[in-house]
Amino acid sequence: MSWLRIRAVARRHFYVLKRSPHRLFDVTVWPLVDVLLFGSIGVFVSGGAGGGPAFAYLLGGIILWHVVYQSQIALSTGFLEETWSRNLLNLMVSPLTEAEYACGVALFGMMKLVMGVTLTALLALIAYAFNVLEAGLALVPIIAILLIVGWAIALFVIGVVFRFGSGAEALAWGILFAVMPLSGVFYPIDALPEVLRPISMALPTTHAFSALRAVLDGNALPWSEIGIAALSAAALSAGALVFVARMMALFRRRGYISRYS
Amino acid sequence: MPVLEAHGLVKRYASTVAVAGVSLSVEPAERVALLGPNGAGKTTTLMMLLGVITPDDGWVEVCGHRLPNGRSQALAQVGFSAGYMPLAERLKVHEFLRTYGELYGLRETSGRIKESLDRFRIGHLADTMCTQLSSGQRTLVGMVKATLHEPRLLVLDEPTTSLDPEVAQRVRTGLQDLCREQGTALLITSHNMVEIERLCERVVFLSAGRVVADDEPGAIAARYGHQDLEETFLFLASQSGSEPAPQETDRMP
Repeated sequence: MSWLRIRAVARRHFYVLKRSPHRLFDVTVWPLVDVLLFGSIGVFVSGGAGGGPAFAYLLGGIILWHVVYQSQIALSTGFLEETWSRNLLNLMVSPLTEAEYACGVALFGMMKLVMGVTLTALLALIAYAFNVLEAGLALVPIIAILLIVGWAIALFVIGVVFRFGSGAEALAWGILFAVMPLSGVFYPIDALPEVLRPISMALPTTHAFSALRAVLDGNALPWSEIGIAALSAAALSAGALVFVARMMALFRRRGYISRYS
Repeated sequence: MPVLEAHGLVKRYASTVAVAGVSLSVEPAERVALLGPNGAGKTTTLMMLLGVITPDDGWVEVCGHRLPNGRSQALAQVGFSAGYMPLAERLKVHEFLRTYGELYGLRETSGRIKESLDRFRIGHLADTMCTQLSSGQRTLVGMVKATLHEPRLLVLDEPTTSLDPEVAQRVRTGLQDLCREQGTALLITSHNMVEIERLCERVVFLSAGRVVADDEPGAIAARYGHQDLEETFLFLASQSGSEPAPQETDRMP
C-alpha cells in the first residue's frame, strides 16, 4: 500500500468537490432536511414539548443513520465519479491498486462524513435541544459498526456497477431506502411485519440501532448487541469484498472497460 | 531483458475471437508499431498488455513483472495514452498531472510537470481546466501524463488521431526526443503510415487477431512488393478474410 497514491486519490476527489458545489448537497442539505423532518415529527409525537423515548429515537436514529448514509454515498459516488468523467481507464493503466483506491476514496469520504454528521448533530442541538453526545463513549462502537456497514454496502454497489455498467448507479442512492426500514433505525423491529423480522435480525445495523436505543434510554451499552452487530458487519464486509473482487475480475475478463473509454 | 514480453495471447468475446495467439516482445529503447485494420485486435491486445483485460490464454511480462500479480510494479514502469482517452473532469491541467505523477510514485511533481509540459510546448496550459482544452491539447496533456514519470515503456493507442499536422509533428518530435534521451521503448498503434515510417524501427502487423508480419517498415513493404507501408497496409488489410495460421509471422531473424 502506498500512502502517496492513497493521498493522490483523496486529493483528486477533493478537487472535484471544490469545483462541484452541488455535490455538497449530500453533506449539507439532506442532513439538515432529515433533522428538521424527524426532529419535528419527534416533537409532534411527544405532545409538542420534545423529550421522551420516541423523540430521542427519531433524532438519535437519524443522526447516526447519516454515518451509514455518508460513508456509503461517499465511497460509491466516488467510484461513480470515475465512470462519469471516463477516468476509469486512466486509473486502470496506472500502478494504483484496488485497495489503495478504496482507501483514498474512503479517506476523502471520512471528511464528508464528519461534515454531514456534525451538521446533523449541531442542528439537533440548536433546534431541538437534543445532544447526541450525551450518549458518551457508547457511540464509538456503534459508529464504528455503522461506518463499516456503509462501506460494505458501497462495495456491493461498486460491484454491481462493474457488472451491469452505469445503468445500475441508481442503487447508490436507492439501496439504503431498503435497508433503513429493515434496520429499525427509529423503532424496535417488533414494529415490523413478522415476515420481515428474520431479515431484519440478520442486519448489523438492526443491532447497532437497538444498542443506540438502549443507551438513549439511559441503560448501559448492551455489549451482546454490539457483538452480534460486529460479527454480522464483519460477515457483510467479507461478502462485499469477495463480491466486488469477483465483479472486478469479470470486468477484466469480459473487457467491460469498453463501456467507459 | 525485454521491457515487454507477451506470449500466446488469446481473447474471445462470445463466439468472436478478437485475438488469436499473439506473441510480442519489445526491447529497451525499441520503437515498435502495432498496425492492422479496424477490428484486427490492436486495442484488445494493448489492453491485455496493460492488464486492463484478462487474456483467456497466454501471459504478459512487463519489465520482469508477470501480470496480473505484478500489475502494480509493472505499470509503474509504463506510460499509456490514447487519442480517445479523456482527461479527468473538474481538474486543472497541473492538478491532473500532479495526481497522476503521485499515482506513478513521484514525490516532487512541480518541476517534472513544467519540464514535461515544455517538452510538448504547452507550458501555458498548466492552469487551464482540462474541460476547456481542445482535443489536440487534451491529447498533448495525455502524452505529458504518460511520460511524466519517465517510463521504460510508452504505450500509445492512436495518439495523433485528432491532431492537426503541426501538433502531430510536435508529438512525434517530443516522442523521438524522449526515446533518444531516456531510452524509453515505444509501442504505438496508428492509422497514419507516414507517421509510423518516421517514428518506428519495427512494425508488427495484426490481421484477424493474428500477427501476420513483424519486421522493419521498409522490409515489410519490400516483402509484399509495395513501395511503402501505406500500400502494404491496404494489401494486408484486404487479406484479412484469409486467416493465416497463428504465430506464422514473417519476421526476419
